[in-house]
Amino acid sequence: MDGTVIRTEGLTKLYGKSRGIIGVDFEVRAGEIFGFLGPNGAGKTTTIRLLLDFIRPTSGSAELFGLDSRKGSVAIHRRTGYLPGELALYEKMTGADLARFFANLRGGVDWSYVDELAQRLDSDLSVPIRSLSRGNKQKVGLIQALMHGPELLILDEPTAGLDPLIQQEFYRIIEACREEGRTAFVSSHNLHEVERLCDRVGIIREGRLVDVEEISAIKQRALHHLEIHFAAAPPPETLSGIPGLRDLRMEGETLYCTIQGSMDALVKAIARYEVSNILSYETPLEDIFLAYYGEGENDAQ
Amino acid sequence: MPTTGKVRTMLNNVFLKGLRDRRVSLIWWAVGLTLFVVLTIAVYPSMRNNPSIQDYAESSADLMKAIAGSIDITSPVGYLNSQLFFMMLPIIMSILAISIGSDALAGEEGRGTLDLLLSAPLPRRRAVVEKFATMVMAVTLEAVVLYAGMALLALATSMDISYLNMAEATFGLVFLALVFGTLALLLGAASGSKGLSIGIAAALGLGTLLLNSLGLIIEALDPWRRITPIYYYSENNPLANGLNWIHVLILVAITAVFLGASLFFFEHRDITV
Repeated sequence: MDGTVIRTEGLTKLYGKSRGIIGVDFEVRAGEIFGFLGPNGAGKTTTIRLLLDFIRPTSGSAELFGLDSRKGSVAIHRRTGYLPGELALYEKMTGADLARFFANLRGGVDWSYVDELAQRLDSDLSVPIRSLSRGNKQKVGLIQALMHGPELLILDEPTAGLDPLIQQEFYRIIEACREEGRTAFVSSHNLHEVERLCDRVGIIREGRLVDVEEISAIKQRALHHLEIHFAAAPPPETLSGIPGLRDLRMEGETLYCTIQGSMDALVKAIARYEVSNILSYETPLEDIFLAYYGEGENDAQ
Repeated sequence: MPTTGKVRTMLNNVFLKGLRDRRVSLIWWAVGLTLFVVLTIAVYPSMRNNPSIQDYAESSADLMKAIAGSIDITSPVGYLNSQLFFMMLPIIMSILAISIGSDALAGEEGRGTLDLLLSAPLPRRRAVVEKFATMVMAVTLEAVVLYAGMALLALATSMDISYLNMAEATFGLVFLALVFGTLALLLGAASGSKGLSIGIAAALGLGTLLLNSLGLIIEALDPWRRITPIYYYSENNPLANGLNWIHVLILVAITAVFLGASLFFFEHRDITV
């Protein structure tokens, strides 16, 4: 399919003073995996629920498949698979019964694909959902979103609660969907996940879309907090002139620093000295946002 | 696309799934209703032959006569009216309908599953209508159980009663209960709050029942009985005379208005998470 699958124009939803989204404009192209990145409470779920017509915009509009999100909601839902962010399932049903129910509402699905998804995600569909852990419930939610092979996937924090191996399998499933020309809109508060999975990313913060970029541009912005343990402290000039290096602090034989973008120059510079250990810490998304987009209204208070 | 694997007919749509979700609860309701009528009717033969009961009834307020619907509270119609049809069964069947109606939309919304349901290619109004149908079917099924239990017991105790009128009195309860059940559906559809829906629907149910009863003994309140739904069920004394079908139509019309309002409000509001 060619063209644009999702297009929003000035999409706004106001709830009192604090929550909601304001003037969100973006496009999702057919066949791409679009990441929707932002901290918790930034408005990701609100945007998604507007797209699916669970809530109605204060102003602005959204189109999916060229259809108005309100007037065309039933046709849009038919072509979409959805995973809610605050996932709540029918607790008394088994996973298989839940999948069967939603399959029936969609006019039937190829059940062998349900079995395949359950196997790949290591999901036991035969037990009541109430007895499942959070991660295993998430798998049931993913299966019902994927099982009918929709043209568009709208997944709100899809990897929440999944263990790392299952996450990797989930990424492969979504990538296979992209190879088939299908589109995915994936919200996340995890920059590394978006880097791993997505082609483009929209960054939302405090209800406003602050940027839409190719993922390669985002990778340049990644911040890593490093802790490098030397056998003996190297001379300070070793670390001068390394691009993107900041917040340097030497404590005994241990160097603490922050590096933006590629680590290549740093690694080559320290390679001449004996390094006993390197620890890298994931940077909270809010720190990255602070570094690039400055302080928001809430931060200033 | 083909559907393979075992076919689960009770999972075919929202209506059938609603009944399936309630199957255990509906069985317990059936057991409870049956026990209640069995105990009530089983006592009747001993009471019929006890003159002090009739003395007691005659000595008490006019309400007893009004409740009994006939002069003799020890007659089958008088006994069943006073013990079952005047107050207990309308309350019990309304509670059943309110519990289903309030849970239909607001309960699912409160448990957070409504987003998932509405993400299916299902218009909101369709979800409302199917959930309404679940309530109608559930209340009707319980009325069938109720009627079967009463009719068999009446037969076993050789009660002198019209089985047709008993059927009309029993199934008339469905029309009455659905007024309050659909009110609960409407309140849940408009507010999303199950507690508010149960509270207001139950308060109006009991309040109008009380108003109708007081209107029978306090003349000044008598005209107000016409604003109570129960008036349109009980005024004709269905156990003695069958249903007044004009009155039944009024109950159906009120239910239809509540259903229409449910569709309107649910269509035009934000679903909460």
